[in-house]
Amino acid sequence: MSYIEVNGLKKSFTVKKKREKGKLFREKQIVEALKGISFSVDRGELVGYIGPNGAGKSTTVKILSGILTPDGGEATVGGRVPWQERREYVRHIGVVFGQRSQLWWDVPIIDSFSLLKDIYRLSEADYSSRLKELSEALQLEELMRTPLRLLSLGQRMRAELCGSLLHRPELLFLDEPTIGLDAVSKLALRDFLKWENSEHGTTVMLTTHDMEDIAALCSRVMVLGHGRKLYDGKLPELLEKYDTVRTVNVKYDAAHPELVLPEGVSAEWNDSELSLSYSPSKLPTAQLLALLQDAGRISEMTLQPENIDHLIAAMYKEMDL
Amino acid sequence: MNTIKLYVRSMGMLMKSHMQYTSSFILQMLTQLVMEGGEMLAVILVVDRFEKVNQWTGGDLYFFFGMMSVSFYTTEIFARGITGDFPSMVRTGRLDTLMLRPRTIFFQVLCSGTDPRRITCIAVGVASLIIGSRMSGVEWSVLKALALTEAVLMSCMLILGLFLIEAIFSIHSVKSVELVNAITYGGRSACQYPTDIYPRPLKILFTVVAPFALTMQVPAAWILGKPLYGWPAWTAFVTPLSGAAVLALMIVLFNRGMKYYRSTGS
Repeated sequence: MSYIEVNGLKKSFTVKKKREKGKLFREKQIVEALKGISFSVDRGELVGYIGPNGAGKSTTVKILSGILTPDGGEATVGGRVPWQERREYVRHIGVVFGQRSQLWWDVPIIDSFSLLKDIYRLSEADYSSRLKELSEALQLEELMRTPLRLLSLGQRMRAELCGSLLHRPELLFLDEPTIGLDAVSKLALRDFLKWENSEHGTTVMLTTHDMEDIAALCSRVMVLGHGRKLYDGKLPELLEKYDTVRTVNVKYDAAHPELVLPEGVSAEWNDSELSLSYSPSKLPTAQLLALLQDAGRISEMTLQPENIDHLIAAMYKEMDL
Repeated sequence: MNTIKLYVRSMGMLMKSHMQYTSSFILQMLTQLVMEGGEMLAVILVVDRFEKVNQWTGGDLYFFFGMMSVSFYTTEIFARGITGDFPSMVRTGRLDTLMLRPRTIFFQVLCSGTDPRRITCIAVGVASLIIGSRMSGVEWSVLKALALTEAVLMSCMLILGLFLIEAIFSIHSVKSVELVNAITYGGRSACQYPTDIYPRPLKILFTVVAPFALTMQVPAAWILGKPLYGWPAWTAFVTPLSGAAVLALMIVLFNRGMKYYRSTGS
């Protein structure tokens, strides 16, 4: 049996609408956030969990972290059912919400950590060695005496990570951890997660909208839409399916060389510069290159795959999300 | 042991947070003093005008007022998480973060709020108790001191229990808490005076439904030597226990209510 086993998980919410004129009661609408999700994750895996807003990502994380009780289906993490015996279960997991702080706002972060030590009943020795390790890896030593509210977003996220890992959880949930972070902070965060995963074998489940996070971290990705699981596998394989458009920029020595392009290739001239997009499955790249070379002397050329976000957008569109 | 230590440390941390904004803190403390002083002034005016309300003299009325102030605001200092912050914790999703920790929700909510500004209100209450007992000529004994301590403690539990009703409502994101306010804040205002001056329905409300009369007034009246409703002396020690009973029942209901917590979107 895998570390995380999820079977047919269901959850729906009742949303009350605004009362219409002339009616006594407000109309209720039932929104199915999860329509029977199943998957399993092994110990030590780094899994990305993606999908458009409202797909049910956060609901899954909330159920698996013991906050919500599902309406149907089963889930076990390390043999425990998250929403039963919540207190025993949460000892073994850590959760970071990108949008929500778990530390105390107005006090130095070291005070928050030391209170967490008491909340989790950690021994002094265990706590101080873990704190030392984490503060080095997250470069928090300088910030320990600063109140949380005075930290930048990137620093705050590092502090949050430290707080959620002090009790050495086996499993770490990250709900949009890189939201709003600058490039340097993002890269540092990714490096840290890789380190924590390889050093301690911590299983990591990550929801995000940033495809770079997934590409950098996760060997496996699950796509969720309308409460259903649509894809479960490796990221490159997923992208291959939707990697249908490529962009080429060519610059010729002379202006406007004669060039006849086959149908289905859109091209735009700007003096001696040409930018075109084509689909490698319809027109082999070699054939296109030959055509371009025949037209004149090329001084510069770039060929790039479509931006990863566009691919995902294309995929969501095809999956009708 | 660990639990008590954690509570004390959490409170210390919250105090530290309050002290980050010192001038605002002091100003608000003074505001509280003026407000609670105003409440007391109302009683003073009543006493000045009527001298006696039924069997109760001015000193008795100050004593009852003091009982309520001390109990109510002590609860607000030590359990602000329940009496004030809980609905917003549900709305903003802060409750989610508490659910991720290996402690009971009730305890964590208790640890997550204090209102130290209320200390001035308690000062007014204590002053009122002292003035009242002097004016009414109370002869203090160990037994009476014990009765007073029990009454304040049990009244705090009762008030906490009543505020838990509001908390239970807000778990289900029901915003109509005004009905509950009628017995919490309404109870505070009404039961500053002994309940036997009120018409029957109110008497029943504050003796049976929200039993302020049982937890604070029966013992207070016994201390003053004028038993409430003419009940015997032993009731002064037994009826206050209803406060603990209400709190215990509400904690059970609160825990059951948490099973239906549905969190907010993110």
